[in-house]
Amino acid sequence: MDAICPECEATVPLLEGTVEGEIITCPDCAAELEVVSINPPELALAPEVGEDWGE
Amino acid sequence: MRDPVALLEQMLRIPSHSGQEHHVAAFLVEQMRAAGLDAHVDGAGNAVGEIGQGPTVVLLGHIDTVSGVVPVRIEAGKLYGRGAVDAKGPFATFVCAAARLAQAGDVPFRLVLIGAVEEEAATSKGAHFVVDRYAPIACVIGEPSGWERLTLGYKGRLLLDARWQQPMAHSAGREQAVAERAVGFWNNVAAHCATYNADKSRLFDQLLPSLRTISSGSDGLADWAALMIGVRLPPEIDPALLAAQLGPLADGAALRFHDGCPAYQGEKNTPLARAMLKAVRGAGGTPGFLLKTGTSDMNVVGPAWRCPILAYGPGDSSLDHTPDEHVEIAEYERAIDVLVQALRNLGDTL
Repeated sequence: MDAICPECEATVPLLEGTVEGEIITCPDCAAELEVVSINPPELALAPEVGEDWGE
Repeated sequence: MRDPVALLEQMLRIPSHSGQEHHVAAFLVEQMRAAGLDAHVDGAGNAVGEIGQGPTVVLLGHIDTVSGVVPVRIEAGKLYGRGAVDAKGPFATFVCAAARLAQAGDVPFRLVLIGAVEEEAATSKGAHFVVDRYAPIACVIGEPSGWERLTLGYKGRLLLDARWQQPMAHSAGREQAVAERAVGFWNNVAAHCATYNADKSRLFDQLLPSLRTISSGSDGLADWAALMIGVRLPPEIDPALLAAQLGPLADGAALRFHDGCPAYQGEKNTPLARAMLKAVRGAGGTPGFLLKTGTSDMNVVGPAWRCPILAYGPGDSSLDHTPDEHVEIAEYERAIDVLVQALRNLGDTL
């Protein structure tokens, strides 16, 4: 099963056992990607890590 | 929980400064029992509720607040009160989510809610009490992140008290004034941190010092000066290491380092994080991860439990400890929905 990288449009293979919410790396552009859907396979850029004051 | 807003409003009406949480703990035990959980106050004064069987998932919030009265009221869809954000709102979110799962008969694991005492005190008494009593497979810390975001880590902390004393001398003399020695030490600490931070762009990676108190005086024979300094620590700097680095800069002061805790950062590619990401997206949100400059009970339990962990809760943490502390009611209710779905998602992976 393959999906398309939203950053570089490379074909990204989804390994068996991949689950929704999993964060993977695009083999072409190295972008961190979140698996937002398995069926149909769909990737989004993974959430960025921001900073916040507090607590 | 039939009325989440009423629950939080009642929690806000019960003052619970650190060390004075017994009334709100008793109230929460009553509420959790009414929702179908087994609940009790533990030996530290924490309000604890449990439901379900199987591997343990802990929802650890805190029910104490800093001091200061914020009149409890609802205005324009916002619920005001001390603790609305930090962190009665997040713990009320936990209670309401557990109640909803209990009502549906749909608790896929042993779910343990802990409303901890004394998180706002440097003692973290409630978290230290439970850290050896549970071995969860996942933990959510109740702190404000906003309903769409997940907090992965908190900086560490080191506090130090410094005191100088010397024989009194005329201010026109050649002796350095004792207050100048204290200021010199603060300047040394600030310079040490600035040097360390020079090549680090993220706050999370920096040493962040703050001068919390400064005082000086004389009894006519001896002059004294005292400082209290707090430093927020990056993951690379352990409290003991920083203490060893700062000691030689203190110009002969009597130093006391205390309440040190290392930074802690959880992983983002875990079953718990996936369950939360999926739930946020399912509710129409755009998830994000956060690293915080402060500390929380994650710093206490994270290194011991070594399980998937993150902090979650409604509210804007810039309102923490402020006279304007409030939570948007719509966001609070949305966070409950997200947490219910996330716990179900997590259960599906077991």
